[in-house]
Amino acid sequence: MQEQRIGEVIEASSTQWTTGAYELLNAPPFGSLIKAGCYDNDLCVYGLVYDIRTGSRDLGGKAMVRGGRRYDGSEFYDDQIYSEHPDLAAVLQTEWSALVIGYERAGRIIHYLPPQPPTVHYSVHLCDDNTVHRFTQHCDFFRMVLHANLPIVDELLGTAIRNAAELQANRREYELYAGRELARLLRDDYDRLRVLVRMLTS
Amino acid sequence: MPLDFNQVGQQIKRMGGDLRQTANEHDQLVATAWANLEKESPRWEHWARHAEENYLRSPWLLAAPAEPITNRYRLPKFAPNYCLAAVDGSQIDLDRHWAVECFLINLGLVTIQYGQQPYSKLHSVPALHYNDQELLLRDKDGRSYKMAGALVHAERDTREGIALASLAQEILATSTAPLVAMQDGTLIRWSLSGLDPWVRSHFLQRYLDQGLAALRAADVPTCSYISHPKAPEVTGIARLIAKPILNNASKAEGIIDPYPGINDTKLFGNGWLGDGERSALFKSLSKINVEEYGEHAIYFFYLNVGAELARIEMPEWVAQRPEWVDLIHAVAYDQAHRGGGYPVALARAHEQAVVRESDRRVFRQMIEQALWHARLSNGSSLKQDAKAQVRV
Repeated sequence: MQEQRIGEVIEASSTQWTTGAYELLNAPPFGSLIKAGCYDNDLCVYGLVYDIRTGSRDLGGKAMVRGGRRYDGSEFYDDQIYSEHPDLAAVLQTEWSALVIGYERAGRIIHYLPPQPPTVHYSVHLCDDNTVHRFTQHCDFFRMVLHANLPIVDELLGTAIRNAAELQANRREYELYAGRELARLLRDDYDRLRVLVRMLTS
Repeated sequence: MPLDFNQVGQQIKRMGGDLRQTANEHDQLVATAWANLEKESPRWEHWARHAEENYLRSPWLLAAPAEPITNRYRLPKFAPNYCLAAVDGSQIDLDRHWAVECFLINLGLVTIQYGQQPYSKLHSVPALHYNDQELLLRDKDGRSYKMAGALVHAERDTREGIALASLAQEILATSTAPLVAMQDGTLIRWSLSGLDPWVRSHFLQRYLDQGLAALRAADVPTCSYISHPKAPEVTGIARLIAKPILNNASKAEGIIDPYPGINDTKLFGNGWLGDGERSALFKSLSKINVEEYGEHAIYFFYLNVGAELARIEMPEWVAQRPEWVDLIHAVAYDQAHRGGGYPVALARAHEQAVVRESDRRVFRQMIEQALWHARLSNGSSLKQDAKAQVRV
């Protein structure tokens, strides 16, 4: 099955990239696995979605309150605001960041930083279940997420592990495998480990 | 050196006091003007004739009322199911200090459809001009005119009108919703008035033939929206009523203005028009409109959009159709409300068209790169370099 093309790279570095959505408000869920293309056709970069946001395309532009009572007395809110202001689809943009957690070359998935970042303006695809399953078979990417300098890494990793576990034939076995890996990586940080384990079991 | 706000602050304080006093005097003048306009409103045809006969002799700009002067119209009942085509433009003027002579015109084109099938399309169309045929206008006697300054501005205005007609024709091919074409600013090309007659005709005829005439042929209600207008033409009727005898001598000597400092915004902005109400229709009697616009002569009304007073202009063939005047009245008000006081489609067209300072820098760098690749000198003038950088 063709994986869904959801946007394109608008900013990129070796450790993270930003995707601009093709469709306003249509972002993949937090913690989803996505992949971005590179001008080196053999290479594609994998990342976990975080920091989804929608705002003005124009630098310095700011959304204003638009709902409420119209001059003719009618009221409009939520999705009606988008119907009342069709131009919003052209001036707002949904985008999100992705933390790089590996790459694929010649059919081989590697849980290290890629040799090149994703290429700006190349496509971003939402990984299908099969790719998520392949990518998360091994837990080597946990280390990259835990060591990222982001305030939400624990939530991000917890969500990614839960998503991966749902696709496993034996969910319990995968959770135990992930839990053991987390215990090894966080052996010096019991509080953090406890929070993550609780996320997996809740 | 930074501004001395201590000194400026005192001057601003003085200015505030002076303006308050002037405003009180203006309120008195406006009340007198309205009293006279109301008295003479039933004789609007007489004043229309009198204004049309005397617009050249008058020391003040005049308008001809197309109906009783004090007519007012409430916001028409209106289901917001319409499509709006809007165009705005900006330019990078020819700069003789640059390494290459060129100018750029950027048009912002906007289509927004409201109602059952809402959609929008926003885009811009830049056009770079650099060869001799584009940089020099030549009349039939071989005289040449450099495309710079006012001429680039005139070319931009002309292109806006033509682009609006093309956009409207494109929309009509795909949409069945009632269509209105709207431009920012005046439809009267005042800026052409001071130009050489051949140059004026070169721009104006293209604007009228390929712009307004094309819109008329396509049967599209066409208008423009002027925010915070400064025109004094309806006040000119009040002045004419106060000083009805005009002759060339009086213009040369300068008649004493019975309403000094009053313009149409002050006249209509004193609560005469309620929220959503529009004034009567008037025909502009500016010289270029009377003598060169022909069947496209520009009419206007004032509209209270709530946040401010706007002037809405339209060609004669629109003004003659009451259902179109109603549609434009409703659409202009609806647009201003959707846009927080200014028509959203025009704001979007401006956003598409505007060339910011950062864009100008990139444009210049791209030109210098292109010259470098073509192994041509990219030396701009030293004056230009000095202006670009403060040396300390």
